[in-house]
Amino acid sequence: MLYVQNRELVVPGQLIAEGSYNVREGAFREGKQVYASVVGLAELRGQDIRIIPLQGRYIPKPGDVVIGVVVDSYYSGWILDINSPYTGNLFVSDLLRRKVDLVREDISQYLSMGDVVVAMVKDVNERMRVQLEAGEPGMGRVKGGKLVEISPAKVPRVIGRKGSMLNTLQDVGECKLRVGQNGRIMIWGKNPRMINAVVEALLMIEREAHISGLTDRVHLMLEKIKSEGGE
Amino acid sequence: MKKPEKLIENGKRLDGRVPDEMRPLKIEAGILERADGSAYVELGANKVLAAVYGPREMHPRHRQQPDTAVLRCRYNMAPFSVDERKRPGPDRRSVEISKVTREALESVLFLELYPRSVIDVFIEVLQADAGTRTAGINAASVALADAGVPMRDMVSSIAVGKIDDTIVLDLTKDEDQWGTTDMPIAMVPRKKLVTLLQMDGHFTKEEFGQALGLAFKACEQIYGIQRQALREKYAIKQEK
Repeated sequence: MLYVQNRELVVPGQLIAEGSYNVREGAFREGKQVYASVVGLAELRGQDIRIIPLQGRYIPKPGDVVIGVVVDSYYSGWILDINSPYTGNLFVSDLLRRKVDLVREDISQYLSMGDVVVAMVKDVNERMRVQLEAGEPGMGRVKGGKLVEISPAKVPRVIGRKGSMLNTLQDVGECKLRVGQNGRIMIWGKNPRMINAVVEALLMIEREAHISGLTDRVHLMLEKIKSEGGE
Repeated sequence: MKKPEKLIENGKRLDGRVPDEMRPLKIEAGILERADGSAYVELGANKVLAAVYGPREMHPRHRQQPDTAVLRCRYNMAPFSVDERKRPGPDRRSVEISKVTREALESVLFLELYPRSVIDVFIEVLQADAGTRTAGINAASVALADAGVPMRDMVSSIAVGKIDDTIVLDLTKDEDQWGTTDMPIAMVPRKKLVTLLQMDGHFTKEEFGQALGLAFKACEQIYGIQRQALREKYAIKQEK
């Protein structure tokens, strides 16, 4: 028995359903009843109930691609700020994907303070110690480009349904984007004017995420800036 | 102001309300740009602002709990919030209120989801007219939801008291001052659990039951306004 519709706005403590459903994030069960625990949109898919949160910090989970900034280093790796209550740990061997002899090799040649790194969350333990890896192609230290930070809860809007928003941004904006689940986005492009336009578009998505017809408006805005031309 | 002869005349109180009537309540969610969550509450002449930050890294590090988040509350009155200037900074009263506020909110939060972190709640009283702790809890509860902190339910809060041998809801400063009893209550409306109950003065057993009944009914009403405040902020708007 469901008490809300799909994609309906719910608030904490609101009754969503009664019966044997699979309760995912953003909801909890009390006896037979299922309640929402955050403000968000109820997503009901078959027997699964989850709430898409509209606010909140980034909480790392395995498999997420994040963009971190190196804030500290230690004997065998680095500590990365991942725009979350928790910091990320990146070992040299998880960056270089090989065994590293720490006695012979000076690891400071690979990353230094302030470097931006695209990484994947390898593991999160029950104490929320975050293990990162950055060995896959396209990951590791970022060279050039522009870094934008938005609210992590708005990241799904930046990607859009089946990547529609991301495609619009990349194609019309003539840029390449890398979106981290933690709300950080890297932009690379040839035309600085279009890069700035994409930055504006991202901030607009964050600001107007709750107003319908977003993809079309972003498309329109980018087309307009593009047609105005110039260098 | 001198003590008036009667606090209730012809069934009406000093401000014209009937005994079981609440002052007008206004709640607005998400008004602070830089806080993770915030709320502004007006309860009659009370004006209260609540801001929530976190979950974030706990500093000082030695206060981190390895298995859960920590909730920190600060109730603070602005120096200009009362008639006579209040000396700024924490005093005995606001330290106590901070503590009971924290305890009133703690039980609805899923703190165990965020080990080693802290959730900070700041409650600033800008204008006070009795019942600021209840207004603060109402505001903090909306602000926590606005920050996206997972909660079992909201917390709603109101004061009841006794003036001129009548049980009344939501006392003003004058009623609090000249009345005989003041009892702030906070509750989790869905499960009817009381998370804060303080009492200054006396009630008989019957009066206590009656007062609790009034408060429960008012909390339901506040609960509705709190949810509405959140709905208004997050509703999906149609393109103009």
